[in-house]
Amino acid sequence: MSFKRFDQAKPFVTLGGIVLAWLLLPVAVKSFLRTTFFELQAPVGVTASYVRDLQEYWTERAHSKNELIEAARELQHVYSSYEFQAQQTGALQAEISRLEQLLRLPPNPNYKFEPARVCRRDMSAWWQQLTIRKGKNYSLPVGAPVVYSGGVVGRVREVRAYEADVDLVSSPRMRLAADFDDDTRPVSYQGGDNPPLRPARGIVEFVPPDIITHPSNPRRLVTSGLGEFPRGLTIGYVTRLEVSADGLFQNGEVSLDPRLSELTEVTVLVPLRPE
Amino acid sequence: MYRSWLIVFGTTLLLWSLVGQLNHYLAPCGAFLSVGGLLVTFAALRLDLRRGLTATILIALAVDAVEPVPQFDRHLIYGPNLLLFTAAHVLAFHLRTRFPRDETLFGLVTALLANLGIFLGLSFIYIELGAHPVAGTAWLRLFADLGWSQLFILLVAPWYLALQKRALELGRVDLAAQHPRFF
Repeated sequence: MSFKRFDQAKPFVTLGGIVLAWLLLPVAVKSFLRTTFFELQAPVGVTASYVRDLQEYWTERAHSKNELIEAARELQHVYSSYEFQAQQTGALQAEISRLEQLLRLPPNPNYKFEPARVCRRDMSAWWQQLTIRKGKNYSLPVGAPVVYSGGVVGRVREVRAYEADVDLVSSPRMRLAADFDDDTRPVSYQGGDNPPLRPARGIVEFVPPDIITHPSNPRRLVTSGLGEFPRGLTIGYVTRLEVSADGLFQNGEVSLDPRLSELTEVTVLVPLRPE
Repeated sequence: MYRSWLIVFGTTLLLWSLVGQLNHYLAPCGAFLSVGGLLVTFAALRLDLRRGLTATILIALAVDAVEPVPQFDRHLIYGPNLLLFTAAHVLAFHLRTRFPRDETLFGLVTALLANLGIFLGLSFIYIELGAHPVAGTAWLRLFADLGWSQLFILLVAPWYLALQKRALELGRVDLAAQHPRFF
């Protein structure tokens, strides 16, 4: 009888033992196990990513020569305008450096641009992250800003040997110092509003009460330059504002670019040490 | 001796990898699949306690490795899926003698219920840890994700359980010989 009772309780005793053992296990061992099991699965994601790249390559090769020539001509126009803008930017940066030396101001942070392919998207209600195909092998630091052509992608959260995890700007973990395009007063951006079957949204808080916006005329929300992100990068567009509970400020909804959930390549801004 | 839990772990890792790729393609649609219940079902219903728990613990560690580590007041909380997967496994193991556990339909029901339990358990954990700034706004997304996940399990579970059984046969593992007490 007692053997039968113990036989029935054995699974729960085992469960209790496993829970206790896990709680007492040192954090270093848990971290090591986590890294080990991640690297065990990593080849699957990376291989699938390379297969997608190959698929895209063969799709491009299926285009006719005339289509490719036409696409190259259009890109040439874009390239020429970017080249001119790059020359202007270089001249402006030289002017800024000259003024910084003249006025003895601390230099603005400089970055090295590290493009990286996205090998995995993981977007649930609790987290929104990308895994990119570069890690410690490219000296990516934790906390580095990640951008794309449309603005802010997110922030590097974890760096491994050959891959890194990026928290998207739509992630509930993401909080940024921001301001409006034509207003330098600071506001706060918080990610996390991710409805099903629709693009992600964010929340803007501590908006001054005199700022007005309308869904037909949204206002652009950009990074303020406080923190790791350079100033002026697009976060999203504020479509709706309402008075907060304390009546002092406004809170609102930020529409994020739908392309954030479809990204295949991003750029990591690796901070350079000031000379 | 190692083959049964190793084969089951291999098949669950295969499913987990496939679901990961599926979630990659579903990301633009605003949907996410969570299949923890299906990952523990076969090991809980068909293997003995030691081998089944070994396979479950390994796949739980693999799931925890990919997901972000929850944080509470600057402390990292490792292993939420490990605790929930083993709890679901133990509960299914304890109750399995009362039901026709070799039947596919029972396996399907177990997978659905276990997945529901694990999904709700994880949601409670993340809410308690403050993983979402306004948890109340996430309910619609959670409800939708749970619906997609249960529908996915409904479609895939019979095939997947048969796959695992076949994988054991190919690995020349005779479950009846390993623990005759239950057969």
